[in-house]
Amino acid sequence: MLVENLRIPQEALDYDSELFGDDIGLDSIDSIEIIAGIDSLFGVQMTGVAKEHFRSVNTLTDYVYNNMK
Amino acid sequence: MKHKRCVVTGLGLICATGNNIEENIKNIFGGISGIDKVKAFSTEGCYAELGAEVPLEDRELSGDDFDRATLLCVKAAEEAVSDSGLDLSDEKTRNRTGVIVGDCVAGVASIDRFYTAEANGNGDPSDIGKMTATAIANNVALHFNLGGVTANIVNACAAGTISLSMACDEIRAGRADIFLAGGTDSFSSLAFGGFHALHALDSQPCSPFNRSSGITLGEGSGMLVIESYEHAKARGARIYCEISGSGISSDAYHITAPRPDGEGQMNAIRQALNSAGLSPDDIDYINAHGTGTAKNDEAEFLSLHTVFDGNSHLSVSSTKSMTGHCLGAAGAIEAVISVLSLTKNMAPPTVGYSDSDLETLKQKAGKIDFVPNTARVKNIERVMSNSFAFGGNNASIIFSKSLSENTDKPCDGSKKIYICGIGRLMSAKPEDNPALSHVEINSGSFSELGIKMAFYRKLDRFSQLLLISGVRALKDAGLSPLPEDENALDFGISIGTSDGPLTEIAEFQKTIVEKGAAGGNAFSFPNTVYNAAGGYLSIFTGIKGYNVTIANSAQAGIQSVCNACDILTRGGEKTMLAAGVDENTHITEQLYSRLGLLGDNLPYSLKDDRSPLGEGTVSLVLTTEKKSKTYAQITGWGEAHRSVSPQDPEGSEPAMADAVMSALSMADISVSDIDFICGFANGSKSVDSFELAVYRSLFGKNLPTVYSSRSETADARAASCADQIALACSLLQGGCHVPSIGNPPEKKEYALCVGYGCGGSYSAVLLRRTDN
Repeated sequence: MLVENLRIPQEALDYDSELFGDDIGLDSIDSIEIIAGIDSLFGVQMTGVAKEHFRSVNTLTDYVYNNMK
Repeated sequence: MKHKRCVVTGLGLICATGNNIEENIKNIFGGISGIDKVKAFSTEGCYAELGAEVPLEDRELSGDDFDRATLLCVKAAEEAVSDSGLDLSDEKTRNRTGVIVGDCVAGVASIDRFYTAEANGNGDPSDIGKMTATAIANNVALHFNLGGVTANIVNACAAGTISLSMACDEIRAGRADIFLAGGTDSFSSLAFGGFHALHALDSQPCSPFNRSSGITLGEGSGMLVIESYEHAKARGARIYCEISGSGISSDAYHITAPRPDGEGQMNAIRQALNSAGLSPDDIDYINAHGTGTAKNDEAEFLSLHTVFDGNSHLSVSSTKSMTGHCLGAAGAIEAVISVLSLTKNMAPPTVGYSDSDLETLKQKAGKIDFVPNTARVKNIERVMSNSFAFGGNNASIIFSKSLSENTDKPCDGSKKIYICGIGRLMSAKPEDNPALSHVEINSGSFSELGIKMAFYRKLDRFSQLLLISGVRALKDAGLSPLPEDENALDFGISIGTSDGPLTEIAEFQKTIVEKGAAGGNAFSFPNTVYNAAGGYLSIFTGIKGYNVTIANSAQAGIQSVCNACDILTRGGEKTMLAAGVDENTHITEQLYSRLGLLGDNLPYSLKDDRSPLGEGTVSLVLTTEKKSKTYAQITGWGEAHRSVSPQDPEGSEPAMADAVMSALSMADISVSDIDFICGFANGSKSVDSFELAVYRSLFGKNLPTVYSSRSETADARAASCADQIALACSLLQGGCHVPSIGNPPEKKEYALCVGYGCGGSYSAVLLRRTDN
């Protein structure tokens, strides 16, 4: 989803890459897309969820895993 | 070139608040909003369902077979022409009348219709020609059978204001006496789905300078008849006002959000005041951008207070609270309303304030009167209209009731223009399939220019192409990064394109067709505006001056250079980056092949009308100061138009000759001085044979050598036109071995580059060798 919707080159993406850091540089518009993507893929609502859960692929995975019904 | 005064002599307006001027006066000055539930498409699943649509069907607007945006424009233009009393049955008048239209989402109704039908495999090819912004001004010109210069200004929500400013520039350059200028946009699921995805729509009617919780989209067109004062006076026209100044700037900050400190907005406002010779105290009413988003309203409050707080008689309102945000038409609709406020001595209101809102407004407004809910009757002598857009483009324009002193003064003719940097990225024809060629872009293309992945990842192909050639050209000129002593405000950008970011637009629309308006993608939406590419370029490079994107078929790649030269000689900027860019993707390939236009003909082979499609981008850095390295001097430039069918240039011969002869006359040389030509042939027989025939009639037996930049790169449309200039520079310097018609010239002193655009538009640039 990150590679397709946010056009992050696959080779630049590790499980613990800082998504909002200098290299990948996601911003507020990207977070809207992440929220929409996770909602449609896993049915997990992330609107208003604390920033630290968006830090990396690992933190996003943990949040989704813990909140799936 | 004289600094002619430009005046407004006719008005036309159609939007949700009325189908004509009379209805709009009643509603807009009466505080009656046109916002209602969206009818054009389903808003199922969306948190917002309001819009400001025109209640007329396409066939009720005009009998022409055009896209809805063009039909709205034709309707408003008809009213403006009739209001001005212009006699367009007179051929001489028609040939001195041009069309410049501002637009944001182009032929989006046709794009929607095509891809909705295409989902079942039966898209109508006749919709394809209506998709791009290029078609709008040329079809309006065709409707009236006009012969003055055309252009589409595609700077998103500032387009409708910039088009008026450019019309004045064209009149001052002597290319026409009259312009039908303004803006148009139709209501679209694309824009609705995009702003919905960005969470930028208000669920209630938008409430600018009040709740500021989002925008309400609208549709419509505002058109003005703009004339030189001399022309208006000679025909005894009623003059509404003078366009006394304008300013255009870039934020160089963010692709959608305005700079929070309002710096870019204030640069445009101050430039408009300076060019009009006015101070902030001279303005009586401002029609604000006032979209109703929190970010816009906060930044605009700040710029208005900073510039105008000393003015104790200023009224400011946002008529978007009634018309909705009509995007590319907004600036033009608001210009019409601004002129009406002058003539009626009445400031229209911002509607939507409750009693408690009025209390809050008192604290935010300070001395400025925000005209809540009811119009203000007051003496109005001078009005400003402001527009701020995606891409960080800002535009401000001033209308004055009384005419300025006779300001006819010669422009600085001593200014010379040099090409001091070239950035080029053009497709090379592959041997196995010469009909389709592509540019290779990879991470290395960006890293060698110091562009980080965090930046280029967001860009669509169209924007990436321009960014690469733009930064390459600046590096070549020693201007990247911008040197500390270089004033970023004296540096501008002018971009030409034929088809714009059509891939991003089509892909976005396909998603909406599949998922509905609620399925829009927030990531790609900002790239669907034509000026996103110029916006990203200014953000990366820090260029903060003029920033305009022109969509006008292939010749836009040379028209952008003419525009840049106008801006340099008018004194606005010291350095301009001028570019041509067009992409070739699965989308363009599908559309061009559906039209049966793809083939592998070589330029000037005169076989049939199927030509190879390529892609690319060429940027040129132009400056008025001779640098240590220069490629060539631009000694003359010209633009012209004669309305003909988009499929065939036949009948537009006089326009091509006009463009060439204007460039020669500016340089004060004759046809016999031209040593060689870089022509526009692309392999299509009707285009190529037409071009050669016009050269033969202009040059007689002594036809100079003709080169084609498209023999190796295929037709990359606007990019190929800009590439003709790059090829001429290289030939003037003694380099390059490309096939030619005629033997290579003995002397290489003067080179002529001519561009052709569908519908009968031409631009020409004359280059002279410089010795370094």
